[in-house]
Amino acid sequence: MTPQAEHLSPAGRLLLDRRRFLANSSTALGSVALASLLGRDQLLATGPDDPLIDAAKPYAARRGHFPAKAKNVIVIFCAGGVSQLETWDYKPELIQWDDKPLPGGPAVTFQGPAGNLARPQYSFRQRGETGKWVSEMLPHLAELTDEIAFVHSLTSKSNTHGPAENFLSTGSVLDGFPSLGAWTTYALGSESRDLPSYVAIPDPRGVPQNGSNNWGPGFLPATFQGTTMSSKSPLRHLSAPGVSGASDRAARSLLQRINARHLEAHPGDSKLAARIASYELAGRMQLSMPGVSDLDSEPTSIRKMYGVDDSSNPNKAAFAKNCILARRLIEKGVRFVQLFNGAYASGGKLNWDGHSELKKQYDVHAGILDQPAAALIRDLKQRGLLEETLVVWCTEFGRMPFFQKGARGRDHNPDGFTCWMTGAGVRRGVSHGETDPLGQKAVKDIHPLYDFNATILHLLGLDHERLTFEHNGIERRLTNVEGHVIREILSWAGGREGQERNA
Amino acid sequence: MRARARRSVPLFSIAALTLTGSTLADTKINFVRDVRPLFEAHCYDCHGPEKQKSGFRLDVKAAALKGGDNHGPDILPGKAQQSPLIHFVTTDQEDEIMPPRGAPLSAKEIAILTAWINEGAVWPDGVDRTVLKNTRDHWSFKPLSPTESPTPGSPDGFIEAALAERGLTMSPPADRVAWLRRVCFDLIGLPPTPEQVEAFVKDSRDDAFERIVDHLLASPRYGERWAQHWLDVVRYADTHGFEVNTERPNAWPYRDYVIRAFNDDIPYDQFIREQIAGDAYGKDAATGFLVTASVLLPAQIGKDAASKRLARQDSLDEIVMNIGQTFLGLSIGCARCHDHKFDPIRAEDYYAMQAFVAGVEYADRDLRTPEAEAARAEAARLTARQAEIDRTLIALVPPADSGAERPIVSTGENADRFAPEKIALSGLSPDEAERVASLLREKTANETKIKMANRAGKVFAGRFREPDKIHLLNRGDPEQPRDLVDPAILSAFGDISFPQETPEQKRRLLLADWIASPDNPLTARVMVNRIWQGHFGAGIVPTPSDFGNNGVPPSHPELLDWLAAEFIRSGWSVKHMHRLIVLSRTYRQRAAHHPDGAAKDADVRLLWRYPLRRLEAESIRDSMLAVSGRLNLKMYGVGYNLFAQRGGLSGFDPVESFTGEGLRRMIYAHKVRRETAAVFGAFDCPDAGQSAAVRRESTTPIQALNLFNSRFTLDQCEAFAERVVTEVGDDPRRQIARAYEIAFNRLPDAEELRECEPVVRDHGLATLCRALFNSNEFLFVP
Repeated sequence: MTPQAEHLSPAGRLLLDRRRFLANSSTALGSVALASLLGRDQLLATGPDDPLIDAAKPYAARRGHFPAKAKNVIVIFCAGGVSQLETWDYKPELIQWDDKPLPGGPAVTFQGPAGNLARPQYSFRQRGETGKWVSEMLPHLAELTDEIAFVHSLTSKSNTHGPAENFLSTGSVLDGFPSLGAWTTYALGSESRDLPSYVAIPDPRGVPQNGSNNWGPGFLPATFQGTTMSSKSPLRHLSAPGVSGASDRAARSLLQRINARHLEAHPGDSKLAARIASYELAGRMQLSMPGVSDLDSEPTSIRKMYGVDDSSNPNKAAFAKNCILARRLIEKGVRFVQLFNGAYASGGKLNWDGHSELKKQYDVHAGILDQPAAALIRDLKQRGLLEETLVVWCTEFGRMPFFQKGARGRDHNPDGFTCWMTGAGVRRGVSHGETDPLGQKAVKDIHPLYDFNATILHLLGLDHERLTFEHNGIERRLTNVEGHVIREILSWAGGREGQERNA
Repeated sequence: MRARARRSVPLFSIAALTLTGSTLADTKINFVRDVRPLFEAHCYDCHGPEKQKSGFRLDVKAAALKGGDNHGPDILPGKAQQSPLIHFVTTDQEDEIMPPRGAPLSAKEIAILTAWINEGAVWPDGVDRTVLKNTRDHWSFKPLSPTESPTPGSPDGFIEAALAERGLTMSPPADRVAWLRRVCFDLIGLPPTPEQVEAFVKDSRDDAFERIVDHLLASPRYGERWAQHWLDVVRYADTHGFEVNTERPNAWPYRDYVIRAFNDDIPYDQFIREQIAGDAYGKDAATGFLVTASVLLPAQIGKDAASKRLARQDSLDEIVMNIGQTFLGLSIGCARCHDHKFDPIRAEDYYAMQAFVAGVEYADRDLRTPEAEAARAEAARLTARQAEIDRTLIALVPPADSGAERPIVSTGENADRFAPEKIALSGLSPDEAERVASLLREKTANETKIKMANRAGKVFAGRFREPDKIHLLNRGDPEQPRDLVDPAILSAFGDISFPQETPEQKRRLLLADWIASPDNPLTARVMVNRIWQGHFGAGIVPTPSDFGNNGVPPSHPELLDWLAAEFIRSGWSVKHMHRLIVLSRTYRQRAAHHPDGAAKDADVRLLWRYPLRRLEAESIRDSMLAVSGRLNLKMYGVGYNLFAQRGGLSGFDPVESFTGEGLRRMIYAHKVRRETAAVFGAFDCPDAGQSAAVRRESTTPIQALNLFNSRFTLDQCEAFAERVVTEVGDDPRRQIARAYEIAFNRLPDAEELRECEPVVRDHGLATLCRALFNSNEFLFVP
């Protein structure tokens, strides 16, 4: 070690070693360990509980505030507002009330005048050992209810898609706040050494209602934003179009020498070394990405289980491929995968926004979601991955018990709706919280979405009150100044352990 | 007098508690001995030094006796039965009982509390372990107290004094080329040309440096660079945000206003006045500032009244946040739901600020420039002409009983119905048919012209109307209005309020007067700090939009006040501040790292060297275009598209290859909120969702992939190579030398030449250019 190296932090020494390596080496980029740099020198920690991020390795795996039950997360995000009444929240009284006005109900809701109450548009029956009532709309997922913890009493702060998706994904109804996945990778880094730490997979039919705000970094460093890719469209800029392999290698090799010489002339500046390292990681991504997204290697039984080859339903087949891609990313150690089901506002044609023809449209959407999503959970389970992976199913709000006037669909309802989770750390076969007998408002164990997000962080070993980032004078959190962990859906006593940082 | 909302005290009726046992009968309750341990055991987890749930803390006398956010005092001395504190520890309401988890208080503990309150809730002074800071007693709220610089007329003395305290000194000056490259990137966001470098290196005049700075500040490129910093802070975008994120087609005049304001060095106090009340100064575009935020369009807002009230509150909130952060460096928005946790900003203050802007609607307004007036006149003339054409057509087209087919004509709709192919010309003479066809052509052309003319006359700069009545909202909830609130400046800065009758524009003028005053302790400090940050990467206060109690104190307080005073003295001239800074020795230091400095001041806050910085996204793109020779310097006007498709199902499909307008500077790109540009967005481009007072500077492999493999880079490599060949011909060694000169402002040494030569021979000059564009030497401010 050179004399000045003694003055450096471990990260600095690593970078110095790299400098010597680069100066002496003729090997190709991509052979050196991952290192990259954040927006702040040294450690990205401004408060006592901020993640201790080695500036040279922002993606390196980090420990949370206390031992985690879940290592990774897959979020199945159903855009448009899935009706709780057609899926998980059985309201038999609605059958008697079908086509009758709701006494004292609102005259006008989000989209306009309210019509009469409407019975669940699918029949329900009991499933599994818990006897959970689930509709016929999702036959495959319905078989998994013994695995699932439902929360039937969620509320949102907005009845408008944009702010409500913001609220679900970022904890704020306003634009510009970091997404759950960004917070997670900021806190925990990634187990993967050659893939992005956070991947967002849009629906094959199009991007979700609220677009990239669902996976944006907000004011966190760009390092932590979700990278989009899907089975249809791979990572952008993985290779240079129309450039020969020889020319590509020549440019890389020359770049490496130019940068190495520049670093020699500017010793000690970690930003420069980090940028060099980022090209090394990029090189590794180029090599490993094609393998991850190549689904041809999946056996027929698996392809069949997900419905990949269902030629009668290309959207389902494409979503099924996305589901397999999600599993493969998790297997490679990607920390956070967001799997979108439902695209942009389209009068309910392409997402779950069933204002006018709810039954007709939900038949289509359910046909795309059901089998692949259920297969994903089963597949994770049979591989033992459900032990360390949390699977979350969510939507930005629910729908009203009555139809809209002159339509056969339901309006937005942020006052009581259902999301669920399963997998690592989640209590199996539990239904928590209740809406009123008509399913309009949460009445028991009411949980704003803050609580749902706080619970996800808790399962990842993170205290939502201690995971903060200073922005314009405010120590921001995913849960603002709110949030309580929903302990009733945790698989263990779940109480107060892990008050101490575990690092 | 301003109305200060009174908090109502809920009345609780609780069962009387009987004190039993002799333990308490004789002795008076002692707070420290009897009560505090009980608070400590049951309450401090949530209402103590760390957390103050519902804004309530029980560890400090003044705060405990004042009560929390939701109601009046929790402790009413002498009245235990009426005290909410007793209610909360005794209630059987599951959602009210305190503590919410764990064992409830024992009967004895409740008896102690009850007795203590009934005895007058004696809480001796001086026993608290925590002393609440007087949040008004804060450096940035005090008047400027400038001292003369140890090096008169220059900031250097302050820097040197602070370095000396830590046993450090400034680094030696950078060489002339490094300084030139640095100051060019800083002031105009583009590298110098080889010719500029040569001229400067040879310029032996005493004022060679001053001449460069004057030249750069006079360049229109300067405003394009510095307007970007401002647009980051105010989160400017050309779309409305939220899920639909549709185009905001008339936003750009505000962007142009900001560019012009920097280029013209509009005094900063006037710059503030114009952005808040530009309609009073003939600067209509300037008030675009008020409405830069995301907003829900009417169709996105629920039809129910509560949704409308909430949407209105959210949009007013954005205006107040923008004013607070941008001009005052205060997070006033925090007080929307409760009194500010760290700063002396009460919920009443927040709503009093809202009252200043309560007549602002997010909407287009007619510009009152000669051009706009002319455009409107032209639109009116064309509209009249359209009616004339319609009349002529109706006269010409055969009447219904002629047997010839003709479309239905309704005067309101005939613009749509007179589709040329549908006109039956059978009953017309050839001349008449030609006449009809010609009129229809004119009509179609006029429609486009009217649309354009109407657009040209408008700016998205807010529409002003009778102000809403603003009420204090309990917990920020529009469904829980309390007392009416008058417009008033923040109470911590004085007791100045204005009556409800104050007209709309007058309200904004009054607000602007207070902010733009030399006596406002924050305004000048906040802006000089932003300017300083623009040159060194970090401000003297590293939290540029938070000068409050939770912000980081200045590293050089005397310097900050000296700069602020100098700023005011110069007539609020931003360009004067640039000159002071970039001509200083502090700014001219080398960027080289050294272990002693790093050991004592790793973050370089003391400026023992010039801190190395990566170029920002816009500077990288602009500089690549400047180097490739393709930069289009057209200024102002409608932005060019970074996306081939904007929104909808396929999202934002990026343009890969740019030509013409697409080669303009990036500030002229149509800024899509939340959607980062395909190649350069990854370089920490703010998404215009929230204010970005500091650009993060992260390094990611996605950046590397984008810059190494994108069509944009490859296009610029080709163009750069062509430029070099045009300039120096076919000799690879001359080509390499020229490419280094243009990209790095230096010639390659012998070894570099040797390395590059085979690459150029075997793979072409563009391959070398690709390496240069991706190199650290190109991407960092030296």
